[in-house]
Amino acid sequence: MTQALIELSDLSFSWPGHPVLLDIPAFRLEPGETLFLKGPSGSGKTTLLGLLGGVQKADLGTIRLLGQELSELGSGARDRFRVDHTGYIFQQFNLLPFLSVRENVELPCHFSKLRASRAVQRHGSVDNAAQTLLAHLGLKDPALLERRADSLSIGQQQRVAAARALIGQPELVIADEPTSALDADAREAFIQLLFAECREAGASLLFVSHDQSLAPLFDRNLSLSELNRAATQVEV
Amino acid sequence: MYLFRLALASLANRRFTALLTAFAIALSVCLLLAVERVRTEARASFASTISGTDLIVGARSGSVNLLLYSVFRIGNATNNIRWDSFEHFANNPKVKWAIPMSLGDSHRGYRVMGTNENYFEHYQYGHKQNLKLDSGRAFATDPFEVVLGAEVAEALHYKLGDKLVLAHGVAAISLVKHDDKPFTVVGILKRTGTPVDRTLHISLGGMEAIHIDWHNGVPAHGAGRVSADQARNMDLTPQAITAFMLGLNSKISTFALQREINEFRGEPMMAILPGVALQELWSLMSTAEKALFVVSLFVVLTGLIGMLTAILTSLNERRREMAILRSVGARPWHIATLLIFEALALALAGVIAGVGLLYVCIAIAQGYVQSNYGLYLPLAWPSEYEWTLLGGILAAALLMGCVPAWRAYRQSLADGLSIRL
Repeated sequence: MTQALIELSDLSFSWPGHPVLLDIPAFRLEPGETLFLKGPSGSGKTTLLGLLGGVQKADLGTIRLLGQELSELGSGARDRFRVDHTGYIFQQFNLLPFLSVRENVELPCHFSKLRASRAVQRHGSVDNAAQTLLAHLGLKDPALLERRADSLSIGQQQRVAAARALIGQPELVIADEPTSALDADAREAFIQLLFAECREAGASLLFVSHDQSLAPLFDRNLSLSELNRAATQVEV
Repeated sequence: MYLFRLALASLANRRFTALLTAFAIALSVCLLLAVERVRTEARASFASTISGTDLIVGARSGSVNLLLYSVFRIGNATNNIRWDSFEHFANNPKVKWAIPMSLGDSHRGYRVMGTNENYFEHYQYGHKQNLKLDSGRAFATDPFEVVLGAEVAEALHYKLGDKLVLAHGVAAISLVKHDDKPFTVVGILKRTGTPVDRTLHISLGGMEAIHIDWHNGVPAHGAGRVSADQARNMDLTPQAITAFMLGLNSKISTFALQREINEFRGEPMMAILPGVALQELWSLMSTAEKALFVVSLFVVLTGLIGMLTAILTSLNERRREMAILRSVGARPWHIATLLIFEALALALAGVIAGVGLLYVCIAIAQGYVQSNYGLYLPLAWPSEYEWTLLGGILAAALLMGCVPAWRAYRQSLADGLSIRL
């Protein structure tokens, strides 16, 4: 068996003073795979993403990202590891409104040398990488690049957020309800663009949503409540 | 320095509060520097109220008292000194020049000083500047001529040729006037920014003339009266004067002459060194000056606390900004540094604007302050001490920036990558 991108085993987590929220015996995400993880709000998915990002620490069990056991790293190293290998897209208001579109896309390259060097390697410069990614995601107008991020429509903003998650080719893209603010047509178009870019970059996509209608588009789909033995519990 | 740019961009996004905060700091910095500059200049100008005079001599009392009535025209002499004592020392070989001073009368609240032509020739203030006439001339042989200080002429609207009547005593409203012997304005002095501006100068002869028919502090009646014209023909050499100033041929003899005067057998007299007495007087006033400085320090502190409040209040609404930064790889210490930079940027902007404001204020007020208070406020580059103050303000801002930085650090650890909407 090849090395999994994400491998969870016997994971257990609870917020201090609360009942066990997550109890996941086993979970794998393969390299290059796109996975739809269904979870209604309050099912603990945000917490799970926090654990995968190394922001929270598991009480029990192991979390491996690219074979690296996260709990073995110090908090600084976990932060560095996260930005080197993971791109995030959130629900909305993903961007720093006071920066330009281009600066928003380039943000991860300022905090990760690895991603900056990959972007340079592939596109010649970080600026080029940002421009190319944005163009692939349908934002071709060069004038747009220098506009303030909050002057864009929500749909455009989410594509900027996708470009930011993908710059410097992280192995994993985590998307947390990125389409909830988009209308139905835009939703599917956005996902197709995201797939295309993930494929080109060779990244796996972990897509978390409560919107079941998107599930058929993915390689595989899972429900967090099936995965989580503590699913009957109420989230904090 | 990417973080510093991020901090600036974030501040620019909140430019209204940021500007207000920086403005509050700027005002406080401007106040602090202004107080500091006025303080320094006031001290310098105070010290230069009189210069070039080696000794001031008066009846034996306290040195500050003698300085106050002879130079600042405040208070009264306890006793007079005899004219022959003055002449004795004026003719001393160590003495280059001597200025007699006779005080005790006034005109509408301004003091009158009887003196002689040496006053216009030798009295110096500031950086050894002599008195200069703005118009007219110094008083000459006629005893009923008066030379006005700049402020007297301006406040009372006197011109050359005007006649005025002196009052006996120094109260603002005097019941006894020398109205039988009016004086003519023959000269008006240029502004000096010293008590000279508030003085009317007459000759010793004039001073003698208006009191010639007085006995035991009251004017004579009827046949005993002496008219102005009669007075002109009388011997007007004074019997006594209030004090005198001495300039010596050599500074080295100052202490010897001082001792000689203090031990003079003719009558009890006291000689003081103006510089030493000025120091003594200033040390009395330095409490007020220090209080002013402390108050302005507190104003700066208030400005900085305003900044602290503004940053702390913004933290909650900026949790999303922090979470986004965390999700693109910023570590908690990056977030903390960002906030420290923010505080530093605000304080720096405040300090720069404050210094700018100070220069604008000085440029506008310089002429007015110079002519009205005799304070010369230089448009100079900040002094070493002022740089230290500015550095201290920045250091304090840095220290204060640590508070929101620490809170944001904790907050971003707790919030992680996303905050609930």
